[in-house]
Formats: sequence, structure tokens, C-alpha cells
Amino acid sequence: MKNKKIIHDGAQPEIEKPTAEANRINNESKPFLKVVRILFIIICSILVPLSLILFILLVVPVLKEFAPLQKTGIANIKDLKKDQNYKKQIGLLTKDIQRLSLKVNAYTSGQSYIVVNTTENKFYLYTNKKLVREGFCSSGSYTMLQTSGNKKWVFKTPKGKYWIRGKTTNPVWKRPDWSFVEEGSPIPPKDDFSRYEYGVLGDYALAIGDGYLIHGTIYKRFLGMPVTHGCVRLNDEDLKVIFNTLNIGSKVYIF
Amino acid sequence: METEIKNKPHRKITFVILISLISVFLIYYSVMCMISPIRKLEEIKNEYRAKTSKKSDVDQRILMDTAYLKLLKDKATLQSRIVMAETDSIYLTINMADNSANLEISGVVVHKAKMSKVQTSKILLEGDDNTILSILATPLTISHAFATIKKEPLMIKMAPKDTSEYKPDIMPDTSIAEPVNYILETSGGIRIYVYQDENARINEKTSQFRFDINDRIRDTWSALKRVAVLKVPEYHPFIKIRLPRTDAKIIFRALPKNGQIAVFS
Repeated sequence: MKNKKIIHDGAQPEIEKPTAEANRINNESKPFLKVVRILFIIICSILVPLSLILFILLVVPVLKEFAPLQKTGIANIKDLKKDQNYKKQIGLLTKDIQRLSLKVNAYTSGQSYIVVNTTENKFYLYTNKKLVREGFCSSGSYTMLQTSGNKKWVFKTPKGKYWIRGKTTNPVWKRPDWSFVEEGSPIPPKDDFSRYEYGVLGDYALAIGDGYLIHGTIYKRFLGMPVTHGCVRLNDEDLKVIFNTLNIGSKVYIF
Repeated sequence: METEIKNKPHRKITFVILISLISVFLIYYSVMCMISPIRKLEEIKNEYRAKTSKKSDVDQRILMDTAYLKLLKDKATLQSRIVMAETDSIYLTINMADNSANLEISGVVVHKAKMSKVQTSKILLEGDDNTILSILATPLTISHAFATIKKEPLMIKMAPKDTSEYKPDIMPDTSIAEPVNYILETSGGIRIYVYQDENARINEKTSQFRFDINDRIRDTWSALKRVAVLKVPEYHPFIKIRLPRTDAKIIFRALPKNGQIAVFS
């Protein structure tokens, strides 16, 4: 009120009237300001939701880790150590641990066994818990052979624990149905002579069950690659060592 | 001109209301998310209490003793290894004490990998020893896996109709090094994140970024759904490990779909 009075009482300040030049500049800058304003709104409408999303996706998970958790006090009470019940409990636990450790250690056989890594196509031969030989092998190709009649075969090496069920020298390959289907040849009767092929499995073969074998190969350039129909192929020297080292019942670990 | 003047305060009010609503929601969402690990810890504690009260009459003071807890942890570790060894299946053991991740079959270590980096959620790191013990006591079973690589890279090949159509197999290209990152979600709610160590190439960096963002989006979406119905979001304690690419790939391909994992600390 007072201010108003002062203004009314005193001399009015001279208001500069806009000149034609100033009007022109004002009119020219208006569209520019409008563009800036629109740009500002667009940037804001992008940045604000984006920062919200980033907050939810990146900041909140970090905040979760800052939640105050109550930690149970851990103590080293001296009196407790003298307590008979404490000593008894510690004794029982130590005995249990010894017993369980023996059980865990007994799992690794002192006898010979082979480990096959199907991802890297490598094998490792162990004797007395020590690695004695390693090298390349070939394992299942992960190919699914499909016929127009919707018959399917998947060529992969089975994973898990197996054991040697049989050992053969100069093995003969009895071709299964899929080997004919794969070539587009008609499937012969069960014991037809065309099913028998000599020399393709190398000098030795070790059966691990379900028709899967560890054997040699004539395709040595493919060693280290996943190309087989499920069997494990080795080169001649490695196969000979493995054949002579592993006995029937020896473990085969495939992963 | 008059309507423009009238609209401005209205627009301002709407803007203020909108900002306040968003802020309130963000605070509410953040608080609910911060409560989730506390709830999870309570759940684990209750589970542990139920287990211990059933079978032991051990003095509560003993349960707080470091020497006793260390022995109890060792026993739990061995027990879970034996449980898994009896299954005849391939399983993974993560030892945070010596930074190793081993594949085992029937108690035999078939593959050893060295972890270059291990990061665990606070609940596992600072929860308390009883919590960790209860997690160690039973192996974790994989319920879901999200990965940048296929578990079984099956290729479909149509059989030729006759010998004229037959084409011999070409040599597989083993030079392709696809980025290997995956998450193993276990039945206990714990997530194991495995990232490949090699991260120098642009495609490796972008692959990991995309993989990580997808996981965050999945997680946020499920949290938003729970928060919307006024429920505390689920918290998944995590273990993030970095392994060489080949080791990460070997482990992922070797583990069965519902394979088991044991975490030792």
C-alpha cells in the first residue's frame, strides 16, 4: 500500500516505448524462442522418463544392498571353551568331519579312469589319482537327423558316469539304420553283409554301454571337433594307451 | 489470450500433482525393494530355526562360537558334497574361500576353473553365519537358466531321399567365440550369475550389457507387479562370478537342466 502511494505521489518513471526496430527484433526472435521452447519440452519429455527408468533399473537394485540387516553376534566366550558340553559337541563334530572327509576322498578311485570333455573335445587319463595322458578326441556333433517320415536321431555323446563294459581288438563296425538313412541308401536287413565295415574304428574299441564306444578313426583331421554320431574317437597312439590302461569296470566320466 | 492465462495455473497444478505422484511412487517402490532383503533374511532364519530346533538341543551360546560354527560349516560342506555325489549326475561346486568352481561327477572333480572375481549379495556376505550355514547345508537345484548360448546347440539335418542327394558333412567352424554369460536361478531363490572374463571386444561388451539389462527388466517387472498389489517384492540373493569363457561354456553345457550347485564359503 505504502509503495503504491509512493509511486502515485512521486514522479512516474519514464517508460521506454518500444521503437519499430525493437518490435522487429522481438517479432523475429519469437519463432526462435518457440523452437527453443519446443526443443526443451521434447528433451525434457525424453530425459525425465529415461531417468526414471534408469533409477528403477540401476539405482533401486543398489539400494536393496544397502538394506540394514541384523547380524547375529559371533562370540568367543572363554568360559564356554571350558564347558564339558561344548567340548563334547566339538568332539562329535570333529569325528563327523573326519568320517565324511574319508567318504568324500574315497569317491576318487586310485584305479585308472578317463575323463572326456565334450565341449573342448579333450580327454584326460588318470592313474593313481594322477593325470598320465591328455589329448584331443572327437565327440557327438549335436546333429539331429530327420527323415520325411519324421524319424529322428540325435547324435550326441551322453554325459555322466559310465564304465568300460567291453574291450575289443580290431573291431568291426556294424552299421546302424541311421548310417544308411544319412547317405540316402535303403536300409538293409538286420544281418546283411553290407552292414559290416572293417578298419573304420581303428585297432581297438572300448564299449561304455547303450552302443556307445571309445574307438579310433580314419578322420584324424577332425580330432578336437564335435563330429561323431555319439561315440568318442581318438587317434591311434592315445587309443592304444587307453586300451592298455583301462580295464573292464574302469570308470568313464563324460561332461 | 484470456483462456491461455486461465489454463496456465491449471497446467501448473497438473504438473505438480504428476511430479508428486511419481515421487511418491518412486519412494514407495524403493522402500518396498529395500524391505525385501530383510524379509528374505527372516525367511531363511525361520527355516534354519525350524531345522535346528527339530534335531539339536545344543546350547544357544555354542551356536554363536566361531570355532563351533567353522566346524559346522565344514560338516555342512562335506554333507552336501556327499548328497550330490550319490546322485550320479554332474554338479557344480563353488568354493568362495579359494575362488574355485569345480565340476564333479560322483565325487570326482572332472573340471577345475578359477574364478577371477566373486561378488555376493549382502545377505550372504553379512547376513550371519547361521544363514550361510543353512544355505550350505543343502545343495541348490537349478530351476531356470537364462543364457547367451544354447545348452545343446542342435542342428537339424534332413535325410537325403537317395544317394544322389547325399552331401558329406562339412567341417564345423570352431573359431566362432560367442559371448558366454548366464544366470542359474536355483530353487532356493539364490541366483548364480556367471560372466565370461574376456570383455575386450565391443560385441562382448554389448552382449553383456544387453544380457544384464534384460535381467534387470525381468526383475523390475516382477517387482512392479508385486508392488502394485501392495506386496513386498521377492528378493533373490546372488553370487556373481567371472570365469574364463571356455570354463564358463564347459560348466553351462555340462550341467543338467535341473542340475545341482553347492556353494561353500
